[in-house]
Amino acid sequence: MDRLDELESQSIYIIREAYYHYKKLAVLWSIGKDSTTLVWLCRKAFFGKIPFHALHIDTSYKFPQMYRFRDEYSKKWDMQLVVARNEEAIAAGMGPEKKLECCTALKTQGLKLAIAKHGFEALLLGIRRDEHGIRAKERYFSPRDEQFKWNYQDQPPELWDQYKNQADEGTHIRVHPLLHWAEVDIWRYIKREQIPITELYFAKDGKRYRSIGCTTCCNPVESNAATVDDIIHELETTTTSERAGRAQDKEDTYTMQKLRALGYM
Amino acid sequence: MVSNSPKFVVLSIDGVPYDLLSRLIEQGYMPNMATLVSQLGMRKMRSVQPTVSCVAWSTYMTGMNPGKHGIYGFIDRRPGTYEIIFPNSATRATEDIWQLLSKAEKRVFAMNVPTTYPPQPVNGIMIGGFLSTSLEKVAYPAGVGDYLRSIGYHIDSDAALGRSDKRAMIGDLHATLEARMKVMFHFLNEESWDFFHTHIMGTDRINHFLWGKMVQNDPEFAPAFFSYYHRIDEFLGRLLEALPENTPLMIFSDHGFCPIKYEVQLSRYLIELGWTYALGKPLHPLSIDPAKSRAYCLIPGRIFINLAGREPQGVVSIKQYQQIREQLAADLLKLQDPDTGDAVIRKVLMREEVYWPTGSHGTHALSPEQVAQADATFGKAADLIAIPYDGYDLKLGLSDSAVFKRTELEGMHTYDDAFMVARGINLSMDNLEIMMLARPILKELRVEPPQDMDGSEDAITPIF
Repeated sequence: MDRLDELESQSIYIIREAYYHYKKLAVLWSIGKDSTTLVWLCRKAFFGKIPFHALHIDTSYKFPQMYRFRDEYSKKWDMQLVVARNEEAIAAGMGPEKKLECCTALKTQGLKLAIAKHGFEALLLGIRRDEHGIRAKERYFSPRDEQFKWNYQDQPPELWDQYKNQADEGTHIRVHPLLHWAEVDIWRYIKREQIPITELYFAKDGKRYRSIGCTTCCNPVESNAATVDDIIHELETTTTSERAGRAQDKEDTYTMQKLRALGYM
Repeated sequence: MVSNSPKFVVLSIDGVPYDLLSRLIEQGYMPNMATLVSQLGMRKMRSVQPTVSCVAWSTYMTGMNPGKHGIYGFIDRRPGTYEIIFPNSATRATEDIWQLLSKAEKRVFAMNVPTTYPPQPVNGIMIGGFLSTSLEKVAYPAGVGDYLRSIGYHIDSDAALGRSDKRAMIGDLHATLEARMKVMFHFLNEESWDFFHTHIMGTDRINHFLWGKMVQNDPEFAPAFFSYYHRIDEFLGRLLEALPENTPLMIFSDHGFCPIKYEVQLSRYLIELGWTYALGKPLHPLSIDPAKSRAYCLIPGRIFINLAGREPQGVVSIKQYQQIREQLAADLLKLQDPDTGDAVIRKVLMREEVYWPTGSHGTHALSPEQVAQADATFGKAADLIAIPYDGYDLKLGLSDSAVFKRTELEGMHTYDDAFMVARGINLSMDNLEIMMLARPILKELRVEPPQDMDGSEDAITPIF
């Protein structure tokens, strides 16, 4: 079994475990590469037809390409799609001028409302351990309380594939089937499986999005990677900036943009 | 005039050529400068090779040639790899005047001088230059950042506006200048500084993006160009008023400017001649195929030999080094303007002709093998440095289809016509170059220069 087979089989095992334990389960689909890979794995786990909901938290500020992609593939893959919007906050004019408040109202609050409305007990999320330092402490099955607080100092051990999957009253469980994947694994798997992915990831005029969300708060990175192969190559050859950490990445990107504008690159 | 007055003041104005300043004075755009020049005179000054701000300012602040301080451009190759790095104050090999003065317990202030980010600890205040990434990190001590934020300081104007919206660029340049000058006057009177240096960057920007329109007397942008310089002159007037009449003072630029005829995509030329092979889709300036490339270049005109034993996948043997350099130089000198047939490259210098690792220029007779395998800062230099005729701006273009092109850039740097206006300080009379300034500054403040500092009579850059 090669690495991708191992990653895939571990993830499918977790997805099936989650489905076995929770009647009200949903997969959170942000239309990005990770959650689209997760949706793909869910389809594989159940032979093409996902037997639970897919939940898209729509802030109304997503890229048009993302909406098109969502509508096309939710139909093609016959998904039970739930689109959740915090209409009240959107109508009240909540927007990205207030960055933190905006995320809280439209994403966090939007998700809470959807959970309450549909009574989801557990959510499948496409987060990965290598995304961010704090996520290294995440578990495959991660309990959240009503306030969505995640007590990272009190996480159940997960030894020998025994997962804590009993949710207490008033909590929901977050399940992370991609926790053990790295960014480049995702792209290698996308290539192998030929998973469709929104065009925002591919370079246009020397820029591409390395991660996507709302148009207002996402900045493209300098890149000429126009195909999945290019992206894999880029990720394989830019290990220094990966190691240097996110802040450094940002600094280098800033420097590059500045030097490019001045004609020094 | 203020009770606290500094002992030595520098106002540097990036990329202002001697000839332009003469014209602005003549036409009445800079009356304060005119008065000063009528009293003190104005001189031409030489810059550095290659003529870019980060190299020029590193040379100014260390008083050393790049072979010693190790800053050769805005982008460099990480030694032993084909990866790029962005040289900054932390990668510079030698101390700058603020550090030297700090060690001698002098109180220093510096603001916005290129290549001072990340700000190194000094006895005083260091506010980093235009590549500083955030107000949190721009200054030493860090608390200065809070003050800067409170007055709406701009680290730098938005260079991208030069390409997208020139009108917005001018507004942004003014806003940046106003905030910078506010900070200058705030700190000028704060205490009796020993050495107080403020740098204005916007002149370089306006020259890059509006030079052509200024020359053509564009009805909108030529007046905007002149009024930006006029505003600087108003601030100069206020600064002069705030200083006792005999305060030692230097006002100068780091290089000149001239109109661009063409941006020259030198990598493309090297590709056409079979020296460089680009990767299918170049991701950055060093996206070359190392198995096939015998040479590659970085901006501006810095050409590296892909030398076996030095580069990770070098293909040129040490025995071929000198011969390859000569062949390359000959090829570069053949490059012609597509319209006029004029030569594009004026001279190609070997690294040892323009830089020296210790002592003064020419004291070390190095064999080509020793040159090729030099280590430390000298070993980071390009193997060849192509010097263009004025008007041909040497760029890269790994993925471009043509060697010659035009973009929004209208002006390019020139080597031999920076300006210098000095008061109360003794500068060399001959061949003044920016590398010669650190010594007299230290001398004025009675601080002994480091032994290996260049810029004395025998350690100057030859004229090419």
